[in-house]
This record gives sequence, structure tokens and C-alpha cells, in this order.
Amino acid sequence: MYNFSPVTDRINYMRNLIRDRVTEHDAELAVIMTEVHKKHAGTPPIILRPMYIKAICEKKSISIQDFELIIGNRGREWLGTSMSPEWFGTSFLPNIVENNGWTIREDGKYHNPDDEQERACISVEDYEALCKIRNYWDGKTTGAPADAWQPDFYEELAGLACSDYFMNPGGLSGIMSIPAGHLTPGYQKILTVGFGAIKKQASDWMAEHRGVLMGEDMDKYMFYKAAEITCEAAITLINRYGDCAAEKALSEQDPKRKAELEMMADSLHYISENPVRTFWEACQMAIMYQIFLSMEGGYPGCAFGRFDQYTWPYLKADLDKGTITMEQAQEIVDAFFLKINSFYGSFGGKGVNTQGIGNSYMHTTIGGVIPETGEDATNPVTYMTLESVGRLKLHDPTISLRINPNTPQELWDCAIETSKLVGGLPLYQNDEVIIAGLMQELGFSLEDARDYSLIGCQEIVGSGTDYPAGNGLNAPHASVHYSVVFGMAINNGINPMNGKQASVQTGYLYEMNSIEEVRNAMETMMRHIIKMHVSIQNYTEYLTYYNCPHPGLSIGIADCMEKGMDCTVGGARYNSYGGTATGLATVADSITAIKYMCFDEKRCTTRELYDAVMNNWEGYELLREEILNSVPHYGNGDPYADCELAWVVDTYYKICRECYSKRSKVFKSGMYGAADHIVQGYTTWATPDGRKTGEPIADAMSPAQGRSVNGPTAVLRSSLCFDHTHYMDGMAINLRIHPAAVNTETAKGALRDMTRTFFEQGGMEVQYNIVSTDTLHAAQADPGAYRDLVVRIAGYSAYFVELPLDLQNDLIRRTENEIG
Amino acid sequence: MQKNNITALIYDIQGFSVQDGPGVRTTVFLKGCPLRCPWCHSPESQRFDRELNWMSIRCIGLDTCGMCLDVCPNGCIKAGEVTQNAAGDDIRYPEVDKTNCDECGKCAAACKATALYMCGDEVTIDDVMYRIKRDKPFFEDSGGGVTVSGGECLAQPEFTLELIKSCKELDINVAIDTTGFVKYDVIKSVMPYTDMFLYDLKCMDSDLHKQVIGVPNELILENAKRIAEAGGKLWIRIPVMPMYNDSEEHFKLYGEFLSEIKDAVIMVQLLPYHKMGLSKYARLLTNKQVFTAEPPSDALMDARKAQLEAMGLPVRIH
Repeated sequence: MYNFSPVTDRINYMRNLIRDRVTEHDAELAVIMTEVHKKHAGTPPIILRPMYIKAICEKKSISIQDFELIIGNRGREWLGTSMSPEWFGTSFLPNIVENNGWTIREDGKYHNPDDEQERACISVEDYEALCKIRNYWDGKTTGAPADAWQPDFYEELAGLACSDYFMNPGGLSGIMSIPAGHLTPGYQKILTVGFGAIKKQASDWMAEHRGVLMGEDMDKYMFYKAAEITCEAAITLINRYGDCAAEKALSEQDPKRKAELEMMADSLHYISENPVRTFWEACQMAIMYQIFLSMEGGYPGCAFGRFDQYTWPYLKADLDKGTITMEQAQEIVDAFFLKINSFYGSFGGKGVNTQGIGNSYMHTTIGGVIPETGEDATNPVTYMTLESVGRLKLHDPTISLRINPNTPQELWDCAIETSKLVGGLPLYQNDEVIIAGLMQELGFSLEDARDYSLIGCQEIVGSGTDYPAGNGLNAPHASVHYSVVFGMAINNGINPMNGKQASVQTGYLYEMNSIEEVRNAMETMMRHIIKMHVSIQNYTEYLTYYNCPHPGLSIGIADCMEKGMDCTVGGARYNSYGGTATGLATVADSITAIKYMCFDEKRCTTRELYDAVMNNWEGYELLREEILNSVPHYGNGDPYADCELAWVVDTYYKICRECYSKRSKVFKSGMYGAADHIVQGYTTWATPDGRKTGEPIADAMSPAQGRSVNGPTAVLRSSLCFDHTHYMDGMAINLRIHPAAVNTETAKGALRDMTRTFFEQGGMEVQYNIVSTDTLHAAQADPGAYRDLVVRIAGYSAYFVELPLDLQNDLIRRTENEIG
Repeated sequence: MQKNNITALIYDIQGFSVQDGPGVRTTVFLKGCPLRCPWCHSPESQRFDRELNWMSIRCIGLDTCGMCLDVCPNGCIKAGEVTQNAAGDDIRYPEVDKTNCDECGKCAAACKATALYMCGDEVTIDDVMYRIKRDKPFFEDSGGGVTVSGGECLAQPEFTLELIKSCKELDINVAIDTTGFVKYDVIKSVMPYTDMFLYDLKCMDSDLHKQVIGVPNELILENAKRIAEAGGKLWIRIPVMPMYNDSEEHFKLYGEFLSEIKDAVIMVQLLPYHKMGLSKYARLLTNKQVFTAEPPSDALMDARKAQLEAMGLPVRIH
């Protein structure tokens, strides 16, 4: 059911445009929203926000390109982007243009400098339009209250620099600088119910209660009014795209394209109010809703949910009726995923070492089980998704493949073939662990648990039933830097990086007489920091209740319309929030090093080890080498090291479960972190595991870089030292696999079987990066971080970084030949 | 209890082996081999003793460390001149001359950075089984198991036999990776506990075999036939060496021989020569001239595969 065959000409054309894109910024949203804000200043936010979006939907530029099969733009231009001032203000972009050396080119637009990896531009008119309203939003952004005032412990938390919280000299806290997002919106409901019926539900309630609003009716009325305006906005937007298609059809000469445009016009006018009828309409509606939400809030990490599940019934019906062929359907899927790739906007910059280029974070989930029956849910769209990702070589959006005991062999093969083509995708998620975890940790019903999807990096959420992210927080990722917290725990609460003292004192490592005392110090410090962190999160929840309701999201999320309650205040069927920890292996290995060196083997005193760490190992090189080479490390299947990891993650989980807000009873824990391990490493002092100041900490749930030397089965086995069902904010285990492990049919089978075994044993997630030439070049540049990169050729194995340069280069050439 | 006292010298245990037999396997590499194939890519597997190795990339330099300089009882280690490491920084490495080295390991024990290290660990059956038991879940889904390899694992027959008996007690699939250059009695003793032999056929011409490897091939071919007659399964491995056994004529000989024992052959694995072993000779500090050649082309490998497949044999490359 997959062959990674060539794409159609127009898809290929579109792909090339996207690959060579220059993101064009415009001032459209900013200008429209500023007008609304000026006119309606003082209107309660729950009404004012729908007013913004209604004005945008009425006035925004609309266009359809000749090569487009799935339509809709976030910005004015096809590859453009338009920034909402509500969160970011309007001075941000002019500042970049002026301070980052943008210059006017032949096309008359400002462009970012050539030495930045990503290309961006803005027209002079748009730049000037932004300059005109440059300071209008100062003090008026959604995050402004959090910048103006913070709870009194904030100074301690920000000052300690052990989290993503900071305090700028100018007073910006960054506490609420982006909207929450990080969820799977209710596509299923939007597709099957339609905006017309949702609007009617709101209007009917208001008609029934006209002039009689007692008790909680007032809250409901405000929500339903917002929902009504929101639905009107969506209907307007979709109809305008329908009008645009109709207009283009009139002047179109090619009869085939003319018919296509007429179909689009007819469909868009219909689905603006009614449930979708066809596969094309289903795909188009999912994109329209995503665009609509981007105008409401620019929600980051707004996922596409179970795309194969909510679109397949329509494709099946189309196929039964004979109105579509599989080839036509595949082209629609190609266009769908390319459209997602056009949503990514860039400001230029040099952040690719930590961010990667072009991530929409619109995670898409496929496979899994049918919610009602628990049977395997694989369908043709499951394969078509992988086919598109593989044949278009798309690294975005992230695709998660849900694995269950009945996942068909062919789907496994297709997925591993896709991994080989695009590296790292799909992520493999284990239904058995996640479904059980959702029921146990978050109280999901079996049916809703079976309908989970993945969002953002790794987070597990209900599909359109769940409001799973903290309201309005800068730091939905790995907010607390646990390696810094550990440094503080063995340094009496002082961060060695900046000398700041926490209000809790835990003693110095050289005063500690047993490993239990070390663990107790860490638990005390973790509790102190996590609780302050969640308290700040709860402050943003408090601010959001009034300042930033999300009616556009709420109308799609299960139970909000029924309860008459916005998702930000608890209208959703399931409520949770959480954070994640990255690099807990660095903390665990540090504890193991202290245990082994100071207490069990007595190779050095706690004083010596403390001095070595505080001196960033300078003058203690031999001690450092001894720790690197003789202390057991997490990730090698050695219980001596693994049990410390289990202690750290269990303690982290236990403390998270002590936290909650008014809206959410559960603060979820997770173990992933995008590329946070690199950034956090920069600001983390040396650690007792031998890591030097500034070096990366371990990545997500993976072993510390270069510390696992017994192969992938040992890594997977080590990770099973704790219960994965606790970590419902998701988990990431990144395994590097040499191409030799997937270059024969039998070897590919082995990768599948290893995953299956890991899942049977209770593993939640794994992703495979088939080693590319890029990886090998990176390993040449930074051997220390790639110590575990094994080269295998039947019966021969060696560590890549330990080979002489000529042989390394030879291997790079080989790798090029094997995987292209 | 007796068997726990048996030890062997191993140089590696490798999890997730996907090229040493079917499925996901754990391969135990025993140290020591009676043959001296010039292309051997794991020269550390040849001697039956622990050996000193040297890997400069791990060394932190004499000026920071220097612990190796005074420990050698035979005066093999001297301070070297200033040079540059891979990162381009100045460094002084020790100069190790193994002429008088008796492999005592004192320098390796002193080297915290493990730039000097001893290859070869003496292990018990329990040591190895501890690791195997932990990998066992990964065997079951994949039809994998344990491969005992080398060196020549049948050159340490008591240990190998006890190890695979222990595996069989746990119902683990066992493959023996052998050169075939052993007495048939040894093969016979392991046969009841062996699901397949990964069996090397390096060359069909006995004179050439003797000339290059040092021993003729009659015993090897004879053993293969006897395994087949006794109902054993053979997973044949042919290292494809340029100018030596890669010709069409030579593969005709392979084909003819394998056709005789066809019922026993479950796979013919063609392993193209590669140069990666060169690094390991350098680590052993030997001056021995090693075989080098350009690896066979993909086209040639495909042609040899097709040639054997045409004779009805199951073939894979790698």
C-alpha cells in the first residue's frame, strides 16, 4: 500500500517553492487588530477577542494559487505570515529589521542578512505600517499584567536562573509572552457538526435567557456570545475563500482546473456552515480551522490530531461512490502536508543549532485503535500519510505512529522505510502504556483514552476532549533546569553559575555523609523549585481566566458548549497541565558518580569531588577521567546506575503530583525537551558525572551523550527501570541507528521486533534516527558528544569517533551511498 | 556448580546484533583464533591472551597526566614530542614500543583515560549469562538469540559448550560462528545445543587457502559436509575478497560445493571486504603489514549474489 512513487508536477512545484521559501511578513493582522482595539477599548476580553477575529476574517487578504489543491494562508502572501500584536506587541518586527541588518533588495523589500540560515523579508509599506503603531501595544499585550507585577517569590525564582523564568532590566518577565496552545483542537466536532449548528446552539441559549441572567448564567452568556461571534467569523472566512474560488473559476481557461475551482467554491460555501461531505472537504476544513485558530491566538503546538481517523470515513464514502481515485486522494494528502509546511514563519536568525529549520509543531498522529472497540484502526490514509512524508521527504510536521499489538506487519515495514527516508520520523508511541496511563493519571474514560493523540514535541492529549496545557506561559517546555537544581542541592542552595542563594539551604556535598543525604538534599531542592514554578504557572492561569479566553478553541472541544464554559476556565471534558524534564540522566549519573566514588569505592572524598566540580574540573582532570571511565552510567543495562535514574524520575513525578491549580487537578510530568538540553547546558555549571560547564546535558529520556556504550537494547532496557505510565506529558527516547541496521530486509525486521519487545515490556515511546552523513560530520566536529556512535559491519564494530580521520571519511562516503 | 568455574577470554559482547544470524541477537566474541586471515577486521580477536591497545584520541596528554610513564617494568613507554590532537591543540603522547612488552597491563591500570587499555576480559559463564538474560526479551519477538563468535569460539570448547547449554536451559536460540577449522569431535559435542552454525567459507582452492591463511581447507569443507549429514543447519558466510575469491569461476566452485549440501544451507551471507579493520591494527601497535584492497563494488556483489541464487541458494549481502 506504499511505494514512495513520484509526486504530480504541481505538488513538486509547490514543494520546491516551500523548500526555497522566503517568509514574507506583513502588517495586516496588526493593523486590523489595532483598529478594533482602538474602537472597542475597555470591552471585556471574552467579547473583544472574538471581535478581533471577526474583523480579521472580514478584511484579511484572500488568495488562491494556480497550483493549490488545498487552500488558505496565514499571512497575506502564500508563504507569508502575519503576526498578532496581542501577544508580541508591534515593535518586535521593526526592531529585528533595524537591529539585525536587514537591507532593501532588488524586489524593493527588506531582507535579512545572507549569513542567516532562514530567509525572511518584509515590504517597505508593511514595515512602515508597523512603525506607525509601533508602541501602541506597549502595556496592552495579554502578558502585560505579568510583566507589571509578579508574586513576591518570583524574584527568587527568576534570580536563581535554574528555570526559564527571568527578569529583564526593562521589567519584561516573559512569564506570559505566548499563548498556551499545545493541544489537539476538536477537528472531529468541527467536521461532523459544522459552525452553523454550533452557532445555533449558542444563539438558542441566549434567546432562551434573554434579559434573564441569574447566578452562573452571566458567565455562560458571556461565553455563548463569544461563541456566536466566533462562529460568524469562521463562516465569513470560509465563504470568502469560496467566493475567491468561484471568481477564479470564471476566468480559468483550463477546463480541468475550472472544474476543480468550481468544486472548491461549491464545497467551501457549503462547509462554511454545514458538516463536511467529502475527503477533500474534510482535509480542507482541518486546514481552515487551523488557520482560523492561528488568527485567534497563534496557538503554538496546535496539532492535527488523528488525521487518518477523522478523514478516512469520507474517503471511504468517496471511493464507494466512485467519485475519487486513490491517486487523486494521495495528491490531496500531499497538498495537505505541504500546506502545513507553508505555515512556518521565520524571522531569520541563527538559532538553527537549537531549533532546527522550519518546524510548524503541528504534530500529526496516525494508527492506533478504534475508540469504541479497541480494534486496530489502520486504514489507507495511515499509509498515505507515511507515503507523503516519505516521498516528499518532509521532516515536518512531526508524525507519531501509534503502535498496538495488532499493528499490521505492512504498516511496520512502511514506517521503518519512512524512517530510512526521512530520519527520525515517525515517532513510535505505545498504545498499551499510554491508554493505561491516561486512565490512571488523568481519569480518562477508556474510549477517550483510546482516542489520544500527540502534540508539540511529545505531549499526550485527548483528541478534542482535553485542555492539556497551562494557560499562557512562556515556558511550556522543560521549564525547570534539573541539572542546575542538582548543582544547588549540593551547594547549600547556591547556583554556582551566578552565586545566587535560594531561600532553602540544603548543605554542601562535603558535609554529606551518605548517598541518602545527597538524595534528600536533591528532593528538598526539587520540591522547592518545582512548587515555585507551578505557583507562577498558576498565576498565569489566574490572569488568563479573565484576560485571554479562547472561544475559537472552546467551540470545538468536548463539553465546553454544553457547559457554556471556556476551555481556559475548565470547560473541557479533561483538564490538565504540566511540564517536562529533560536530561534527568545527567542528574542520575551525577548521583551515581558520588555514590561510587565517595561512598562505595571510596576513590575520593566528597570534599575532593566537590572542589573538582566547583573548579569545573580544572586541576582535577584525572579524577574526571576516572569518573567517565569507571563509574557505571545510566543506559547500559546496569542496575547500579539505572536505580539512581529511577529514583530521580520517581521523585520528580511524586513532587509534580503534589501540584495543582483551580482548573486542573493534575500537574503532569514528562521527559522530553526538544533541543532544550543544549540550551540548558550552556547555563549549567559542571556536574559530578564529569560534565564540564556549558556542555549539553542529556537529551530528554536518553542516556547522557556518549555514556551508553552497550547498544540500543541496553538503552531501552535501562529505561524500563521506572514505570512509564506515570509520564503522561510524554517521553522521548532518541536512538541513533547505523544504516547497516536497516539496509537489509532482515535487519529492518530486527528494528521492528526490538521496538515491539520494548513496548511489550512497558516502554512508551522510541524514535530512530538513522545515522546520516550530517550526523557523522557533527560527530567529527564534536567527538565527545558522539562517543556512543557505533559503526557496525557484520562481526566488526567500532566507535566512529575513535576511528582515524581517513576511515571516518570513508564511512561518510559509504553512508551517502546507502541512504542518499 | 562446576561449570561456574569455567572461564573464557572474551573481547566483546554485542547487543542488537542484526548481521550475525537471524533476528535480534546478542553476540559473545571469544578471543583467540587458529587462523590468520590477512584481511581480518578484528585483529584483537586473534591472540589467546590479553593484549595492550593504544588509542590516542582518548589520551589527555603527558603534561596533564603522565601516569603511564613510570609504571612499565620493561621500559616500553617513553615521553613523546609535542604534537597536535584531532582538535588541533598541542599535546604530548607517550611513545609505546611493544618490543619488550609482556602484556602485564600495569600501564593500562594506571591510565584513567583508558587510552592504554587491555583487550580481553576473563569471564565466567554466570557473567555472560547475566547479560544474556537481560537481553532475552528482545530475542523472542524477532526469532533472534545468542551467537557465540570469535576469534574461534570452538577453540575454547569447554566454555562454549557450557555457555550454550545454559542458553538452551532458557530455551534461547543458539548460533555458533566458526571458521570450521576444528576437530569434528568438538563440533559434534556442541551440535545438540546449536540451532545453526554461522560457517565461514573463505576460499574453495585449498592451495590458495594454505598460501594465504596458513592452513589448507579440506578439514573445513569436510566438517561442513559432516554437519550437513548430521542434520545441522548451516548459515554460510563468505568474505568477498578482491583478487582472491571474488571471481565468477571461484563462485562457481562455491555454488557447486554448496549445492551438494543444499538441504542444510539456510542462508549464504556475502560479506564484502571493507577497510575498517585497519584502525584496529594501529591500536594493537603492530607493525605487521596488513592486507588492503579496494572494497568490491555493489555491482560485483549483486552479480555474485545472482550467481548463487541461480543455483537455488538463499543469499543475502551483509
